[in-house]
Amino acid sequence: MDSAAHELPRGWRLWALLPLLLLVGVVAVFAASGTTLLDLVGRAPPPADLFDIRRVEFKPGEIRIRVTNPQRQELTIATVTVDDAIVPYTVDGSATLGRLRSSTIVVPFQWVEDDPYSVGVTSSSGIQSTFDVPAAVEARGASSRGFLGYALIGLLVGVVPVALGVGWLPSLRGSGPGWIAGFMALTAGLLSFLAVDALTEALDLQARLPSGFQGPGLILLGVAASYLGLTFVSQRFSAAAGRERSAPLEGVALATLVAIGIGLHNLGEGLAIGSSIALGELALGTFLIVGFMVHNVTEGLGIAAPIADGARASLGRLAVLALVAGAPAILGAWIGGFITSDVLGVLFFALAVGAALQVLVEVGRYVARRAPGGLRSGPVIGGYLAGIVVMYVTGLLVA
Amino acid sequence: MTRRQLLAATAPAVAAVPLAKLALDKPAQAATPHVHYPGMAMDAPTHAAMHGHDVPAPGGPKALDDLLHPPPVLPHKPGRVREYELTAVDREIEVAKGVFFNAWTYNGTVPGPVIRATEDDLLRVNFTNGGSHPHTIHFHGIHPAGMDGVFEIVEPGGSFTYQFPARPYGMHLYHCHATPLKKHIAKGLYGAFIIDPPEPRPPAQELVMVLTGFDTDGDGENNFYGVNGPAFYYAKYPIRVRRSQTVRIYLANLTEFDLINSLHLHGDFFRYYPTGSSDHFEYTDTVMLCQGQRGIIEIDFAHTGRFMFHAHQSEFTELGWMGFFEVVD
Repeated sequence: MDSAAHELPRGWRLWALLPLLLLVGVVAVFAASGTTLLDLVGRAPPPADLFDIRRVEFKPGEIRIRVTNPQRQELTIATVTVDDAIVPYTVDGSATLGRLRSSTIVVPFQWVEDDPYSVGVTSSSGIQSTFDVPAAVEARGASSRGFLGYALIGLLVGVVPVALGVGWLPSLRGSGPGWIAGFMALTAGLLSFLAVDALTEALDLQARLPSGFQGPGLILLGVAASYLGLTFVSQRFSAAAGRERSAPLEGVALATLVAIGIGLHNLGEGLAIGSSIALGELALGTFLIVGFMVHNVTEGLGIAAPIADGARASLGRLAVLALVAGAPAILGAWIGGFITSDVLGVLFFALAVGAALQVLVEVGRYVARRAPGGLRSGPVIGGYLAGIVVMYVTGLLVA
Repeated sequence: MTRRQLLAATAPAVAAVPLAKLALDKPAQAATPHVHYPGMAMDAPTHAAMHGHDVPAPGGPKALDDLLHPPPVLPHKPGRVREYELTAVDREIEVAKGVFFNAWTYNGTVPGPVIRATEDDLLRVNFTNGGSHPHTIHFHGIHPAGMDGVFEIVEPGGSFTYQFPARPYGMHLYHCHATPLKKHIAKGLYGAFIIDPPEPRPPAQELVMVLTGFDTDGDGENNFYGVNGPAFYYAKYPIRVRRSQTVRIYLANLTEFDLINSLHLHGDFFRYYPTGSSDHFEYTDTVMLCQGQRGIIEIDFAHTGRFMFHAHQSEFTELGWMGFFEVVD
């Protein structure tokens, strides 16, 4: 009865289009007025005409320069310099770039390994954008060897340490409820650390994007999407377990959620490592690999903790959890190594932030309910701080 | 075909020029000859050509003729009036292939027109300021203080007539002396000013070369260098001279920002007369000039063929200051 009273005739729905039509009309009138309005209040400054040099790659006998037009006005590539010398070039794509459009400039060049280079791209208006390369290192293209290499790196820094960490499960099983709560709090601590770490990475990366990409908005989108997405997933897990939707997750379901959260973080981490290697920015030595392994082994502990209080989990199930948490590092390394997109990087790290926060909430609810003394008990506070300290100390190995 | 498409199409050859020199120094590259020598068959078109139409220089083959070839020399006749019209014009010029610069010019070109008089001529230059800023013309030479182009600022729309007996003979120059001085010169307000001696110099193939630089992004450093304006112009269009007759170059350095500029000739030596004001000369193949320094070069080419000339600051060379003489019998 109530709804019938408020129901409007069907045609009234079309009124929703009216504001849009009026908007189109107003825009058309304004556009037709040219610069009249602008002339009343001032004069627009000239465009900066600076290219955004996204990436400089050294291949045998050539340098490849990826440029983006960050501004509203068109931008034309006119002259290319290497170390302040005008060089011949071809453009893979258009020499005139519309807003946020990219092209790759190919310069035939006999470069010297490990030497620094300054690359310049001058627009038709004479404005030169420069990019300094500290040391020229050959960029490997997409090859089966490179594919395998990145996969191995992802395996070593992602899957292996997480799997090893899950191996703590049997020794956790015998622990009393206080200890279990402590380890769950430790998981919460490391998730907090990962959230902050991922947020910092996302903010740093977005600062390098042209403002047109609206980096902060992109981060918010990523965080919200993954947080809400995982909220949805966790409710499904609850429902599947035949429990109330609002009941806190536990056991394998919670471990799975933790694994997803950690996996999204490792996706971003793999991407960062992959692109750093591809750009010759990262000296990927044994020490760094070992550092990442030690750093990430704690993540396995975080997955094991929710299962430790008695839930049964087959070896196969544990392996899947380790893969969910660790394997994204491989995917990230491939993407970073072969594509290198700062936009993707920002998005991945933002997804990791939202995921870590959501899982943090789930773990917190679990601890609040299961810990003998609640959230304020000694093991919980100690465990949470220990989680952060462990991540911080092992993080020193990779910083 | 639009200019942009053309640019993209010719781009591969763009910097072939500076690279060719590098290639010579790199034995590792010797497997494929990148350097094109005169008389040698052309390499595959994909190779960077060292000269000719693939060089990325703006303008057509005769675009700079008025700046390269001075007005004719006139016999000594004291008191004769030599009259020139100069107008300051704001104009966008193409300083390198596809790169445009908002210049301040005398008569629309950078450098401005060549002014020539014989010693003791009465030089009269009618100057009109058609630009948007105050300008003057300051001539090097001997003249009354009121004709020096320092205090008599000509406002936009205004005019001034500079009039004085042309002396002493030699290679001189003129430029705007309004402040800020650096800006007015960097923007392009300068040119060559030749005063011929009473006793005429021997006949020669006469050329004018004003060394120019352009700071297109306003950072206080030149992005492009050249002779008489555009980068790489005489690499694309070599200057054709006969071996049988002396080549005389009226040379002046007007580049702003850099402490010095220079000229180096390949394959030969020349007589260099500093300021062209005496018979004293140096026999060399390289001269160095600070801003405002100038002189006269006389070359008697020993060989025919294509000879490079360029600044012996490699950086300037690779930013456009290089060209060729095509010496023929």
